Amino acid sequence: MASINYEEAAHLLRRAGFGGSPEDINGLVARGREGAVDFLVNYESIDNSALDALLFKSFGNENFRLPSDIQRWWLTRMIHTRRPFEEKMTFFWHNHFATSYFKAFYPYMAIQNKTLRRHALDRFDTLLVKVAEDPAMLIWLDGVLNLKVSPNENFARELQELFTMGITDMVTGEANYTEKDVKEIARCFTGYTIKVKRKKIYKSKFRFDPAQHDNTAKEVYGQTANFTGEDIVTLIAARRATPRFLVKKLFEFFVYPLTSSAEDTATIEKFSDIYISSNHSIKSLVRAIFVSDEFFSGRARFALIKNPLEYIVSAIRCLGATYNVGTDTRPDFTLITRARQMGLELLNPRDVNGWDLNLGWLNTSNMLERYNFANYFASNRETNPDAAGAWLTNDQLRRLTEPTAEATVRKLLTMLGPLKTDAQTVAVLTNYLETDDQGNRVGFTVNDATLDKSVRGLIHLMLCLQEFHLN
Amino acid sequence: MATTRRQFIKRGLGMVTVSVALPQVWLGGARAQAGDPARKILVVIEMLGGNDGLNTVVPYTDSRYYGFRPTLGIKETELKDAQGRTTIISDRFGLHPSMGRMKELYDAGHVAIVQGVGYPEPSLSHFMSADIWHTTNPTGKGDGWLGRYAEAALQGQPGLSAVSIGPRPPKTFTSSKVVVPNIFSFDLYSFQTDQKYAGNRSRKLDAFNALYGRSFPENEFASAVSNIGLDAVTGASRLSTAPVNYRSTVVYPVNNPLAAGLKMLAQIITAIPEASLLYVQFGFFDHHANQIGGPTSKLTGQHATLLEYFSDGVKAFYDDMIEHELADKVLIFQWSEFGRRPNQNNSLGTDHGTASSLFLIGNPVAGGLYGEQPSLEATALDEAGNLKFTVDFRSVYATVIDGWLGGDSEVVLGSRYENVGFIR
Repeated sequence: MASINYEEAAHLLRRAGFGGSPEDINGLVARGREGAVDFLVNYESIDNSALDALLFKSFGNENFRLPSDIQRWWLTRMIHTRRPFEEKMTFFWHNHFATSYFKAFYPYMAIQNKTLRRHALDRFDTLLVKVAEDPAMLIWLDGVLNLKVSPNENFARELQELFTMGITDMVTGEANYTEKDVKEIARCFTGYTIKVKRKKIYKSKFRFDPAQHDNTAKEVYGQTANFTGEDIVTLIAARRATPRFLVKKLFEFFVYPLTSSAEDTATIEKFSDIYISSNHSIKSLVRAIFVSDEFFSGRARFALIKNPLEYIVSAIRCLGATYNVGTDTRPDFTLITRARQMGLELLNPRDVNGWDLNLGWLNTSNMLERYNFANYFASNRETNPDAAGAWLTNDQLRRLTEPTAEATVRKLLTMLGPLKTDAQTVAVLTNYLETDDQGNRVGFTVNDATLDKSVRGLIHLMLCLQEFHLN
Repeated sequence: MATTRRQFIKRGLGMVTVSVALPQVWLGGARAQAGDPARKILVVIEMLGGNDGLNTVVPYTDSRYYGFRPTLGIKETELKDAQGRTTIISDRFGLHPSMGRMKELYDAGHVAIVQGVGYPEPSLSHFMSADIWHTTNPTGKGDGWLGRYAEAALQGQPGLSAVSIGPRPPKTFTSSKVVVPNIFSFDLYSFQTDQKYAGNRSRKLDAFNALYGRSFPENEFASAVSNIGLDAVTGASRLSTAPVNYRSTVVYPVNNPLAAGLKMLAQIITAIPEASLLYVQFGFFDHHANQIGGPTSKLTGQHATLLEYFSDGVKAFYDDMIEHELADKVLIFQWSEFGRRPNQNNSLGTDHGTASSLFLIGNPVAGGLYGEQPSLEATALDEAGNLKFTVDFRSVYATVIDGWLGGDSEVVLGSRYENVGFIR
């Protein structure tokens, strides 16, 4: 079994989760490469009852009354879960099947989140069927308007273009489908509708209406039969273009951006083969990606830009800080507001294409918001443990320090990454700790006064570090 | 990920522009107002979603217009603003009745309207058509036209030569060499530090600037973070002066998002002497349903409201520029990704169209109608029932670049286009 060192384990935890404490990372080191990946991927065997109890305190039976309740619920999960990969993979699918509460009724967004969560690592065919039957999706892409006498192409088009194959094959560049295929596939999904439970809206679910279903022959990809929606999913999931598209999307989300080079094409093909040999198992595919040499290569290390949630959640998790989402009467809106101002509002992706990753997160307003979140977080001196918000107590700060300024800087660089920087960076940060407001050298001693002022200031600066924005 | 943005990072000149920006701290309103006599400011207003040109500049003598729009069509007798003043601007056309303020500017000779603006093989997709307008490329890919202009004209200029108002910069500003700041609100656009230790702020900024002075030749994403982050923080410190020092007796209309955006631009223009390319987006004009207030109230509703925002907002901004003695230096250019289909739909709305009218406003323009309104004759429409363009949008850009900004449109656009003639 391949071993895994501390940097590699930290890299794995950043990508498959949101980073973590030295204890979390050392726990992965002890398991070896495959063992660490299996531990993260087989998350259903990790006890998460503490999170469940915490969520119950704030959200009860999860009959959310506002879209922001669902956003806060999800962000809390990301911060406090012991199954980080469950949240990361659910977010991947949210971005992939990008649906927004602006059009889809927000309770349906909560139902969709649970569906994506439940089937996140299922067979891809199963996930696609569940998405096709998902109430939020049925509204988002007009499935409920897709009727026998007046088919609506919206879902049929995006199913192929955005959810499975892309317009053209990722490897050969050939067209994957025709406009006729779009029209014919729309007919296969007619009759998909929602069983609305007006009194218990969160119990609403899929309903098939045979009266609205076009029960005649359709011609799809050159074959003619009386295809159903499920038949179409089976057809698409078995086409080579589908794993190529899915592998590229997974790889670029979890590993590094791909080019059209022969090497990267071979990578797409290698993992597409795994999708096929594992009978379309998403879990087998992501496991193979995470244990691969590509994933642990130098090319993958810090090769992505953190999205706003990764930025916020990793700051809290890596430093072992406090986060309370609060209760109905005292809720925390700060973090979801900050994330929105950084360009990511959960349940409201930019468009059907999802968010633009990496450079898409960067513009001047979004960057200022990142720095200002860092300042809010580092200078929040909350002392009431039941208050809502994110903060570091003096005790937590003390655990992040060492007797000397330079050792403190180096310790924080390790906690936040480990981040690789140069001597100049360490010098700038050490100098900040050792000088007063006028720039006089006054040295550094760990006490309540320095923790409250310069250590908090140092953490603000270190969360601004260019390296900390990379994943 | 687009190749263009990768290139931008590799060349990464955002830092260079900023290092020039810092020493030129704002020195007072007088300097900005007197300023450079050759100062040329361009304010772009993008109407998001596709503005209905036919109900903006109404062809009130064309019976085919009323044939296509039995409910939505605005009659000659209805071309009057809230005060009862006519909004007719020629023997064939009138402005939407909610555009009384725009009519005042038109009568004063400060509004040029170019009709029939579009491009060959029009896309009816919002994203694609907007990208074509942003880039001037028929595939919608590549850098933005003002980004390319800025590369040639503004490189080495201070970092706040170009600014956009909104949650993200428009693709028009995409460039391989310039970082364009985008501002959502002045309140959020600042680098905040620990309020408990205000005296420590400059030490923190020093450290931040030292950290962001590092370069990352090996990692393009780190370079991008670095360049954009430094631009943000240095720009924010300069922009913080804008609302503080701004004075005006002009009252901008309230509850008018375009007016709020234009007021921010006025604050930037008056505070930052080199600010020259400014951009604001508003909408949403995609009125597939209920474009008008109801079957019997065609003069109210969503479209009327948005056009009122446009008209009132621009008039207030124009008056503000007069007050700051900058009116001769500002050209306003409005566009939208497409017009709407002549034939109204069954939901009191209109579907995606093609060619449309656009507005150029300010003292630099020679007011009047330009171009040619495309025919509404059934045989003159395209297969989807949409207008065929008569003026290529790139010739409008060329006129702005050559006639106003003093650039070379052939360099920016890759070809020579005719001068539409609306610049005095």
